Amino acid sequence: MSEPISIKGTREGLTVTMGAGDLSPIMDDLRDRLQTQGAFFRGGQIALHLRHRGLSEAALRQLGELFHEYDMVLRTVVSDDHMTRNAAAGMGLRVVEPSETEAREIPRPITQRVRQTRRAVPSLDGSKGVLLRHVVRSGQIIRHTGHIVVFGDVNPGAELIAGGDIIIWGRLFGIAHAGSMGDHSAVICALRMSPLQLRIGNYIARPGEGDDGSSNPMPEVAAVRDEAIVVEPWYTTHSGAS
Amino acid sequence: MATRVITITSGKGGVGKTTTTANLGVALAKLGKRVVVVDTDIGLRNLDVIMGLQNRIVYDVVDLVEGRCRVRQALIRDRHEDELYLLPAAQSRDKTAVSPQDMERIMEQLRGECDFILVDSPAGIELGFRNAVAPADEFILVTTPDPASVQDVDRVLGILESEGQERLHLVINRLRPDLVRRNKMMSPEDILRALVVPLLGIVPEAEEILVANANGNPVAHGDGQMASKAYTNMARRLLGQDVPFIPLLEGRRSLWTRLGLGSS
Repeated sequence: MSEPISIKGTREGLTVTMGAGDLSPIMDDLRDRLQTQGAFFRGGQIALHLRHRGLSEAALRQLGELFHEYDMVLRTVVSDDHMTRNAAAGMGLRVVEPSETEAREIPRPITQRVRQTRRAVPSLDGSKGVLLRHVVRSGQIIRHTGHIVVFGDVNPGAELIAGGDIIIWGRLFGIAHAGSMGDHSAVICALRMSPLQLRIGNYIARPGEGDDGSSNPMPEVAAVRDEAIVVEPWYTTHSGAS
Repeated sequence: MATRVITITSGKGGVGKTTTTANLGVALAKLGKRVVVVDTDIGLRNLDVIMGLQNRIVYDVVDLVEGRCRVRQALIRDRHEDELYLLPAAQSRDKTAVSPQDMERIMEQLRGECDFILVDSPAGIELGFRNAVAPADEFILVTTPDPASVQDVDRVLGILESEGQERLHLVINRLRPDLVRRNKMMSPEDILRALVVPLLGIVPEAEEILVANANGNPVAHGDGQMASKAYTNMARRLLGQDVPFIPLLEGRRSLWTRLGLGSS
């Protein structure tokens, strides 16, 4: 028999597969997993695969709250159970037939894909991302397979890791890693760029000593050019506009 | 009135958690509130020394947890304020002697007996911090105006916010206005912009606070000194009174007059 709960990173986000059995030990198990690995999954969107198991609306809400506690969002429910599908639809979740997903669902650990070359990475469709409307604090690590948009500052000691681009409407003092799965076309933008470190794909840049951007703060964009990360004022990166 | 349990914490050590706890306790008591201050720094107790009560300790918080005394027996009345009590930490044990659940149980016994419980947290974010955080309704974060201290408070704020805590207050301690004016120290505006948390008060770096701590007689017992005034203002703000902050580093008047801390 398969394990009652499994969590996997996929191109779409995170897939949580729930097997049969009593709900409460499964919830406990899930809580433990999130407790230990939650930081890694943080910011992820969840597709909940239920196979044939039925879940009440109350149980779905409970699960949604649990994911929310660990900064994850329950988006999709994959189920062929009527009651469950109705409950999920009533909560505004996307409901999918199991057969629809099986063909394209190839769950793989994210770490494997990091080693792949740039060409092997499917281009992001531009619609997947997470918006954070708060300051990102020291010790907080936000990971998302798509883009990350922050409305607020990213403080020293905070870390953003995005499969796609990172846009910060605020000041970047922490670490930002865009294109973390190998996409070297990813960019990092901030209203004020004073990071501890910038990473795009496999490239790492550390701002020069004393150059903290405070002398002339302006919006800047970091991108990979000629095998290195370069940071430029935002307006010059839009040729034709300047 | 329901008892408010407020934990004073900071992440970093040496920024003035214990001094803030003692003086805020005194200031609230002087405003007519019944206050219990609790030292949770088991193994490294300090609050009793700063309050000058170390020679009166018979029972401590570990005795209470382990059932060797009742809560009233462990409380030590302040030498000056009749409505201020200390629940001391044990000196001979360590943080593992109590659990977060133990702290919650003790606070339940004290709730209803007083207006405020101020819990002095140890430095760090490990078990001692967990013990101090578990029973609290509100938090006072203490920072000094330097990047390391601010970053640690930022970290603690992240932990508290992720647990759904919303009643958070900031105290900026040991501010040197002369250094701020010369751009050699983070200004309160810099700190507030980074931390995005409501300001409860600003305490200047002052000799009289050091001397008062050394003598076991918290500065808030005195009247008129600007440091004492700073703690009184904080206590008033905790009580919901509107004590205005006046913009820092503006014009040429005395900084402390503008902060509303001066004698005028």
